[in-house]
Amino acid sequence: MTAKPDPLIHPITRLSICGLLAAGADWVEFAALRDAAGISDSVLSKQSRVLEDAGYVQVRKGAVGRRPRTWFRLTAQGRQAVEGHLAWLAQLEEAVSARTRDARQARPLTGGRDQPRRVLPPLLGSS
Amino acid sequence: MRDTARDPAALELLRVQRGRLADRMRPPWWYLTGIGVLWALTFACPFTSRFLPQGVRIWPILLAAVTAACLLQWGLAQATGISVGTRTLRYPSGRPAQIAMALTGAAALVTETFLIDRDLIVTAIVVAALAVVAEVAAQQAQLRGIRQDLRDGRGAA
Repeated sequence: MTAKPDPLIHPITRLSICGLLAAGADWVEFAALRDAAGISDSVLSKQSRVLEDAGYVQVRKGAVGRRPRTWFRLTAQGRQAVEGHLAWLAQLEEAVSARTRDARQARPLTGGRDQPRRVLPPLLGSS
Repeated sequence: MRDTARDPAALELLRVQRGRLADRMRPPWWYLTGIGVLWALTFACPFTSRFLPQGVRIWPILLAAVTAACLLQWGLAQATGISVGTRTLRYPSGRPAQIAMALTGAAALVTETFLIDRDLIVTAIVVAALAVVAEVAAQQAQLRGIRQDLRDGRGAA
């Protein structure tokens, strides 16, 4: 799997939908996906159609009694794209946290000149 | 629409959403009750093959148990909105519990048959009852594992 961004799942709503479908379930029902992603019915309908048209998501429609139920799952192509995109995001997150760590280490001490004398004795005494 | 590259919390948000999805995967009361009844039927097979008249076969009972198991899985998917399918061994956290279920089932059937052959009927009934409890506990552990893998995104095929 290569870590690369996918423009189609770059918007956060589509990333949420694909990321949830890639979590491991075979099929996820419309209401479960909507509630987990915290989006509205119309947003889920619209974005899932975009993903379906791109061949990333497979849609199955059924009914229990009179209640229509729609199920979603990732296609192999969709899974590959999501995994690549998530790996890319993880790399990005790692780079950002490394940069933050470096910046924090490079920052000079904000305390007075005698701060090392106040801080070091308890630390040395505890070892 | 928000752009994930400018949102460093995108992965954190996805973790929260996966947690919400995993929390839905809690079995309703009838699921575990049904699993208990199914295992009770399965562990009753050594008794039925010994005590029922020769004409009664155990295969129809086992076939009914398998059909009921499929119906329970279907019902769980409908109730939770999450279908985990039949290849549940692909969930690494739920795998030990599933293997334990298979081993417990086989061991209990062999032990029951052994005890019934020696006319230790009460002991065989106790073994069957304990095995049913163990199987239901293992089923709960397996579902806990599946929930954990959904939360971590480790259940992908």
